[in-house]
Parts: sequence; C-alpha cells; structure tokens
Amino acid sequence: MPEVKEFVTPIKPTWCPGCGNFGMWEALKRALAELGWQKHEFSVVWGIGCHGNGADFLDVQGMHALHGRALPPATALRLTRPDLHVIVEMGDGDGYGLGMGHFIHTVRRNADITVIAHDNQIYGLTTGQASPTTDHLMPTVSTPSGVLEEPVNPIGLALAEGATFVARGFAGDIPHLTQLYVKALSHKGFALVDVMQPCVTWNKLNTFSWFRDRVYKLEDEGWDASDRVKAFELSLSSFRNLTCTPEECRVPIGVFYEEAGVATYEDGVPAAQVPGWQHASGPRDVSAIAAKLG
Amino acid sequence: MSPTAPYGREIRIRIGGPAGFGIKAAGQSLARVFARAGYHTFDLTEYPSLIKGGHNTYHLRVSEEEIFSHVMATDILVALDAATVGLHVDELTHGGAIIFDPGDVAQADLDLRGRDDLCLVPVPLTDIVYEVGGIKIMRNVISLGAVLGHMDFPLDGLLDSLRSQFAHKSPQVAEQNVAAATRGWEHAQEAHCDFPFHLAPLTDRPPMILADGNESVALGALAAGIGLYAAYPMTPATSVLHFMAKNADEAGVVVKHTEDEIAAINMCIGAAFGGTRAMCATAGGGFSLMVEAFGFAGVSESPIVVGLFTRPGPATGLPTWTEQSDLRFAIHASQGEFPRVILAPGDHAEAIELTWKAFNLADQLQTPVIVLGDSYLSDNRQTQPMPDFSEVIVDRGDLQTTGEVTDYERYVVTPSGVSPRVVPGVVGAQQIVNSYEHDAHGWASEDAANRIAQNSKRLRKERLAATLVPAPQHFGPKDASVSIILFGTTKMPAREAMKWLEAEGVSVNMLQLTTVWPFPAREVKNFMDRATRTLLIEGNATGQLEGLIREHCLREVGHHLNRFDGRPFSPEQIYANVHCILGACVNLTTAGALPDNEGGR
Repeated sequence: MPEVKEFVTPIKPTWCPGCGNFGMWEALKRALAELGWQKHEFSVVWGIGCHGNGADFLDVQGMHALHGRALPPATALRLTRPDLHVIVEMGDGDGYGLGMGHFIHTVRRNADITVIAHDNQIYGLTTGQASPTTDHLMPTVSTPSGVLEEPVNPIGLALAEGATFVARGFAGDIPHLTQLYVKALSHKGFALVDVMQPCVTWNKLNTFSWFRDRVYKLEDEGWDASDRVKAFELSLSSFRNLTCTPEECRVPIGVFYEEAGVATYEDGVPAAQVPGWQHASGPRDVSAIAAKLG
Repeated sequence: MSPTAPYGREIRIRIGGPAGFGIKAAGQSLARVFARAGYHTFDLTEYPSLIKGGHNTYHLRVSEEEIFSHVMATDILVALDAATVGLHVDELTHGGAIIFDPGDVAQADLDLRGRDDLCLVPVPLTDIVYEVGGIKIMRNVISLGAVLGHMDFPLDGLLDSLRSQFAHKSPQVAEQNVAAATRGWEHAQEAHCDFPFHLAPLTDRPPMILADGNESVALGALAAGIGLYAAYPMTPATSVLHFMAKNADEAGVVVKHTEDEIAAINMCIGAAFGGTRAMCATAGGGFSLMVEAFGFAGVSESPIVVGLFTRPGPATGLPTWTEQSDLRFAIHASQGEFPRVILAPGDHAEAIELTWKAFNLADQLQTPVIVLGDSYLSDNRQTQPMPDFSEVIVDRGDLQTTGEVTDYERYVVTPSGVSPRVVPGVVGAQQIVNSYEHDAHGWASEDAANRIAQNSKRLRKERLAATLVPAPQHFGPKDASVSIILFGTTKMPAREAMKWLEAEGVSVNMLQLTTVWPFPAREVKNFMDRATRTLLIEGNATGQLEGLIREHCLREVGHHLNRFDGRPFSPEQIYANVHCILGACVNLTTAGALPDNEGGR
C-alpha cells in the first residue's frame, strides 16, 4: 500500500509559500495512505485554478479537466467505471462560479464521488478578483468598491439539493482535515468537503489567523450530523462578513450532515455495473433493436 | 397519360394541416404500411417549431423501385384543413386527388388556383369521428383509410398497424380507430375518380427497416459498442437521446440527459478517460457550447464522437428546418490547432456505417470525431435493407484496459503521433490526461521544446487520419457532361436527379465527400481536372465547400447551386439546374415541382 511520500511526484509545488493548498495536499496524501488505496483503485479529476496545479504534484491516475468542468467528467467516469473511486478537486471560482450549474446537478444525482473544494474566497491564478464566495463588500481588483453580491453558500446549496455528506474543513488543521477526507472518501454517495483554504497573496481578509480566531469543531460541541434542517440553519448562520468579530461569527468545521444508505445514481443504471470498455470488446448485436424499426 | 415518368412507378402523398392534428404520426403509420408491403418509402416532415397551430405537412413517397430522396410533386393531397389546399394545389400532378372534409370547406369553395384536372374526394372526417364515437384527432386515421381506398390498396395492413399501435390502450380505442379507417376507405372507394396509380402489396421483397437519420446514427453507435451517451435536447438531434434511452437497458448503455451540452461533452471525455466509447449529439447551438471541451478532447487526446446535426443558424435560427451551414464551424471549432475527423453521411445507410466507423477512427487516432448531419437526415425516414451488422468492426486502436504497465507515459512522442493509451485501473498507469499543454507523462509544461514536440505529435495524427478515413464516393460514368461535387445529405436529391437525367441520356457524374476533414484535396482535384463542367451543390449561402476547394485544391468550380431557405434541395431543383447549365432551362412551379409530371417534359 502506498505511503504518504509515494503520492508525491518529482515536480516541486508552485504554490505561494504558506498557501493553504499545501495543507490540503498533505491531508489528502495522508487520507489516501490511511485508507490504503492503491493508485489503480481511484482516480482524481481537477478543475482549473491554483488548486488545479496540484494535478502535477499528486502521483495518481488522474485528469486535469477544464475550468469549472471537473464534475461532469468525474461523474461519467464513476458511471462507467464501478471499479474506481472518484475524487474531484475544484476551486471556489472554478466549481461555484463557472461550474455552478454542474455543482447543483451533480449534488442531486448522488453519484458516489467525493468533491473537495479549495475555497479561498478569491481568484488566485488570475490575480485576485472576487470569487463567488468572497465576502460581501470586500474590495478586490475586479470590485474596487467592494463585492455587492452576497457570497454563495456551498454547504447550504449542497444540503438543499439533497447531498448525503456535507462537511467543512480548514486547511490550517491538517489532522482534522485528514479525518474529514477519510470520512468523505468512505461515504457511499456524493460527498462535499468545502475547505477554507486561505490565499496568502490575494485575500488579506480571510487569513489563517482570521480563521484560527473563529473556527471550532462541530464534534467538540456534540453536533448531531443527522439533521438536515439543523445543518441548513447552521450553514446560514455561519456566513462570514467583513466586519464581524470572532465572537460574532464563529466558523464551524467538521461534518454538517451525513446520511448513509441512500441509493446512488449508479445504483439505478443497469449498464453502470461493469466497466464501460467491456461494452466495446466487440461489435454489439443490434439486429433485434433494428428489427423493431419498420 | 403516363404515370411512370419522370418519377417511375410510384405515388406521392402529402398530409397537411395545423400542428396538433397528428399529422406526422399518421404519415408514419402510412409509411409503415407501404414499407411492410415491400415498397421503398421516403418521407419528409415539415413543421414549424410549435406544439399547436401553424402549418405542418408530411410528404410520403412510395415506390416499387429504389428511391433516393423526397420529391416536390404530390398525387394525393390530404387536407386536414381548408388552407392546405391552396398552399399545395400547385404541386399536384395531373389527375391528382384532394381528400378533404366537406365539413371544413364546401367543394365549390376549394382554393384550386384554376386547376380543373383534379380528382376531388370529399370524406366527412368529422362526421365519421362522431359516427364511430371517437375523438377529433382520429380524423387523421380516417384520412389514411381514404388514401388507401382512393388507391384501391388493401386496408388490412393499416388495420393491423392500428391494432398494434393502440394495443397498449383499451381494445375499444383500437376498434374505434379500425372502424374510422374503414369508413374512410369506403368513402374514398365511392368517389370513383379515374386515378391512374394502383399499387398492390409486393411479394418476395427482402426485409427492410424504416429508420430516420437519428435512429440510424444511434444504431451505428450501438453496434460500435457505445457505453455512454450524454445529451441535452436540441432539435434536430433530440430523438437520438430518446432512442438511446429506450434501448439503454437492453443494449447496456449509460444514457444521461445532462444539465446542458457542456456537461454532455465533458461527460464523454470522462467516460473516454475510463476507456468507454462515448458520444454526444446536438445541433449547432449546442455544439457552440461544447466547443471548448471539443478542444479539450483534442489536446487531451480523448477519443469521443460528437453528432453535429445542422439546423439553420445563427443562434436559435430556424429550429425545425435544415441547412448545411456548419461545415466551416465544424472544421474550425475550438481555439488552437489539433487533429479532428469530420464524417458527413449522405443518407440513412451511411449514417449507420459512418457512425460505427467514427468510433474506430476516434480510438485509432485518439482524437474527437464529428458526425456531421442535418435536419434533412435526422428527421426523415427512408427504407433501407436490414443492415448487415456482421460487417461492423470494433477497432480500439492502441488501448490497454487491464493488467499492468511500468514507466508509463501517456503522451510519449511517437512517429505516428499516437501514444499507447492505458486507462485508469491498470496497475502503474499513473498519468494526467490534461487540458493544459503537457509533457509525456501528462504533467503541465510550458517548456518551448516540449510544446513543439507535443503539438507536432498531435498534428501528425492528421496525416495518419488521411490514410484511415472513408474515401469520397463516385457516382455515374467516368466522363460526363456535368460533374457534381457535394457533401452530406445533398447526396440524396442529387442521386435522384441523376437517375432522371440518366434516363434522358444526359450524362452526369458526382463526387460525394463522405469525409470532409481531413479535406480530400487530391480526390477533389482529380475529379475536377477531368470534368467538362463542374457543379457544386451545398446548402449554405456563403459557399463553404466551394471555399475549401479554392483553399485546398486551388481550383474554381464552374457552377454552384446554393440553398439556405431552410428547405432541403429537391431533386427537381437539381435536375432543372443541370439542364440550365447545359443551356436548356426548365421552369419549376412555385412549389418547386416540375410543371408537368406526366412525362411531357
């Protein structure tokens, strides 16, 4: 079984020193090693953004897809390869902006995929524009007078669309994040881990210390993760805004909601039970189908 | 009066009326009756993008001989409303019949545009509905009985068809329809017009299928071993999704109606990554949304098949009509440069064959392949002999789906440009299938030398493609007075026109491009260089194929015939145009039919 260090490629990460992506990278390697997954037993699909550069740093059988479009190929891979676990790594601009349509529809499908969102509340790779999760009124290069929209609430959206595993992580707490990943990857059905991942270069507001002052672990407070409505309420109350003090806006991390035993999308698709390439091992006899035409 | 020339021994029937009158369903029942009786049929459905209202027509051509397309002439016009008569009376052949409901319009008030040679067949459609206790939409079934009665064609084929069509409903509904059709048949028998065409069921005919272009494409994909079909509904490609979904469980295909076309093509790429044969299909608007991912398939060397079925654009355009205006779009879609193959089936049988071949080309070349059709192919049904599916070959190219590899490099540079493809799940197959430019392993790379190596490797596959793709098809004699060049579905009316011209001793030959990309420049050049007069026919306003010939062959075509009104070329139009080129123009009627269809040309 691969150890943590065996998931590293020869390529040196190009993230900024101190970037939250390092913590997420480390936590994922540890989770994979802890689960004991062989490299041919799973696949990772990345979107485009700073997070996506991680495709070069994690030694796997993966795909670096288009901006905002990691979820459709990952879903199709899952539906045609029942023998593979499928992990998606996406960004907040990537997955909640351009790819928001795919996000909503992927959630409601409940295909057995794990989605890890690198949520740094800013566009990093394109140098600091507002992202869908940037706080209300925060100035950025594309919104010098402050963002006029309310931020997207990924946890609430996923809960509203019937997600069966919804969690929030913090890139500054690698052991906690590792355990969240292990739980999400072990969950059968759609799992979202939205990870607060501070951008040290472009987001001077939501920094590591900003989060450290505010995060708390749900499990420490005896959170009951089986109540979707309560989890939804919690997602609403944990919106952040520019002026709040640590007392006013605590940020919960951990599993908001988890529901086992829900049928996955692929459970309802007879053709999805075998690897798709088996269907093309030779010509399919379609004479009976053709004979019905006429 | 000769019923045989120029069309041969055949009957053309048009059913017209507002949308929501069951016109297409009725027409297709009639086509089935004739196809099962051993006849060749070709139908053309023309309808506005509406659920109710407007003017819909269904035109059916029935022939003892092989036919290639629709024609403009009509022998029996079924008018389900009064307006249909005025709109189509010009296309009626001498002695042709109009079946109408005197409850809609009195015989004296029919808008006959001065015609006094027609056979008027009053059938009280609405009265019969009440007589048999049915519902108003049954007027269409009564009119079908009337069509057969007018031709003296036995009714049992239609009655069998109705009984099976309504088997899932109550026996009472089926029997109401049977009674309705029978009354229509009897009424038409009473009309006693001297109708010259009498067809009887044929015997000893080989089994045929009656499929539209979308069903044909789907059959080809199924035969090729497709494992995932993903699509978003868009006319005229929509019914591929229906056909696939209906047959998904029996055939073993994952069929996904996605949130949009972008998801559809990206799903295909994800499935292809896993080694699954995958296809999506759409019209130009949907393909516009797919364009970025189409390039992703190119750079990531993902074998996918995309059906692009053109309707007149730009934007929403004319949703339910046809055009050949996406040729350049297909060739140039997406930023950057990468190899692609574009196959353009000319008819329904070719749609099956070129689609299964598209999957092989995609796998062999590890690049996206487009099947370029249009509404004329998608929507219309043509009989074809039961396809011989034993001819289908599945060639997956350099692909490994099981076992183990060492030191694997997904994009290793090779002389052919094709790198061994090993899918995830194989031990040791670490790789990144990448939308970025990448190195041999798949890791993103901006190194200049690597860029040249990888881009050149991919583009070399286009040279390989040229050796693998289907060659252009030649029709007619080697030397001819007029040499036609075209691509795609225009083949159908052109072959029909060639048949008529040949019967008159006018020599015409034709080069049909089945592969439009890589562009078959050598074959086109050779064909043009031995031609006396060239005629290029394409369904667009700007001469897209003409421009490609100029660009790739440095040749000018002599004559061109373009059409972009949403309607397909008719054989009459092509026939008349060839005569015109030869200095003897033929006038068409306003409806596009030859003015005199009785052989008096």
